[in-house]
Amino acid sequence: SVSAGGGEGDGDGQTLMAVKAGFGNAANALADWDGGRDHCAWRGVACDAASFAVVGLNLSNLNLGGEISPAIGQLKSLQFVDLKLNKLTGQIPDEIGDCVSLKYLDLSGNLLYGDIPFSISKLKQLEDLILKNNQLTGPIPSTLSQIPNLKTLDLAQNKLTGDIPRLIYWNEVLQYLGLRGNSLTGTLSPDMCQLTGLWYFDVRGNNLTGTIPEGIGNCTSFEILDISYNQISGEIPYNIGYLQVATLSLQGNRLIGKIPEVIGLMQALAVLDLSENELVGPIPPILGNLSYTGKLYLHGNKLTGHIPPELGNMSKLSYLQLNDNELVGTIPAELGKLTELFELNLANNNLEGHIPANISSCSALNKFNVYGNRLNGSIPAGFQELESLTYLNLSSNNFKGQIPSELGHIVNLDTLDLSYNEFSGPVPPTIGDLEHLLELNLSKNHLTGSVPAEFGNLRSVQVIDISSNNLTGYLPEELGQLQNLDSLILNNNNLVGEIPAQLANCFSLITLNLSYNNFTGHVPSAKNFSKFPMESFVGNPMLHVYCQDSSCGHSHGT
Amino acid sequence: PAAARRGLVGPGSSPPTCRSRCGGCHPCRPVHVAIQPGRSFPLEYYPEAWRCKCGNKLFMP
Repeated sequence: SVSAGGGEGDGDGQTLMAVKAGFGNAANALADWDGGRDHCAWRGVACDAASFAVVGLNLSNLNLGGEISPAIGQLKSLQFVDLKLNKLTGQIPDEIGDCVSLKYLDLSGNLLYGDIPFSISKLKQLEDLILKNNQLTGPIPSTLSQIPNLKTLDLAQNKLTGDIPRLIYWNEVLQYLGLRGNSLTGTLSPDMCQLTGLWYFDVRGNNLTGTIPEGIGNCTSFEILDISYNQISGEIPYNIGYLQVATLSLQGNRLIGKIPEVIGLMQALAVLDLSENELVGPIPPILGNLSYTGKLYLHGNKLTGHIPPELGNMSKLSYLQLNDNELVGTIPAELGKLTELFELNLANNNLEGHIPANISSCSALNKFNVYGNRLNGSIPAGFQELESLTYLNLSSNNFKGQIPSELGHIVNLDTLDLSYNEFSGPVPPTIGDLEHLLELNLSKNHLTGSVPAEFGNLRSVQVIDISSNNLTGYLPEELGQLQNLDSLILNNNNLVGEIPAQLANCFSLITLNLSYNNFTGHVPSAKNFSKFPMESFVGNPMLHVYCQDSSCGHSHGT
Repeated sequence: PAAARRGLVGPGSSPPTCRSRCGGCHPCRPVHVAIQPGRSFPLEYYPEAWRCKCGNKLFMP
């Protein structure tokens, strides 16, 4: 082991013991910090080879509690401090400003509170200041602009308030500015484009107001611009088209006006998110030019007009969310060209016409949601080719025809919602092949025939709702095999016969609604059946319901 | 630097070409890389940036 000579590092061992004492609970993690002379060999300690002065402390993820001792200020040679992912509390000591050699300070992922000390501005060598994921309050000190070599400033996920100091923007060296998840107020200053070396600008999730600066396009070094989830208002300026960003996140603000056509020229965009604003007008067809974009989110606006067929040219698209707008017209068949599409959400618009058969060419499609439109026609035969589909929601449209038995081939489905349509014919027994199905909703249609006995194979299913149809026949006793079923909703059909006693084996069953059918005989008296209220059985004139309250005796479920 | 790379003055952008950006390694291609800004609740997509990739190594465009 190294023995300390008569260098600068002479007192550092004692200082480290004071730092250890501050942690309070460090006995185990820092057991080898024993007060002996070879502190350079202690866990996480790095020393200068010549002077034995402590130059680095790497104590991340050691479950350290307590506080950062002011004694740390005595480590004048300290260049590198990593205390992230511990349970440190208290304030950052002012004495940190005495560590004049510090280049890298990472205190992220602790429970530190109080203000960011102004003394940090004395650290003229500092390049990386990472304080994210703490409980820090107060303002961002404008004096941080006095750190000449600061490259990374990450203060995300704290409770910082006040404005973003404009002086911070006048820094040609800063590369990374992470301020997301605080309570910052004020506006975005045009000065932000003075950050000529910055690639990452992130103020997501604050309380910023005002408009996007007219000159935003001058921020040409930015690769990521995330100003989402603030209260930014006004229109998206034309000038935004001069940005070179890969990610443009403007969602969750109060932006108005149209989507500027110039965005269609921003081919470097990998992610474009304009969702949850108040944008109006059409989706510019020129967005189809974004042939390198993987994620396009325009949902939750007031967009009108048709879905441009040109979007089918966005060959790298994996997420397309246009839901919750006021779009009209049909679903363009050209979307079938999107072979990498993973999620297509068109819900809650005013779309009409058929689902184009070409959609079955989207072989990567995992989620398909057209809930709440005015679509009609039948389910295209080719749908069974969408083998990756896990979520299929066609609810609340005007679809008709039979439910294709081939849906049972989409083996990865966990949600199948065809409710509130005009489907007729039988419930295909092949639905019982969907062993991963969690939720099956076929309610509010015109389905006939019986509940297939094959439903007993839906081993994962939690919700079965086939209410308000024209089902007939007996309820299959195989339903008693469904150990994960928590809701069985079959009211308003014409089901007959006795309620199978095997239903009492569905131990997870919480909600049972068999009302308004033609069940006969007695409600099973077994075990858990007594928990279901009368309302579960009303409207079955020939069904004898045993009242749970012995005082009310026998009654009919009328 | 990105604007200079394009050699254009009008609006619009392009992915990097990654020409000789991988320090002699071939082929050198532009890829999307997710940048993880730390804890993200609720879990949503991460911002993405362009990097040049050769084999399993990434380089700045």
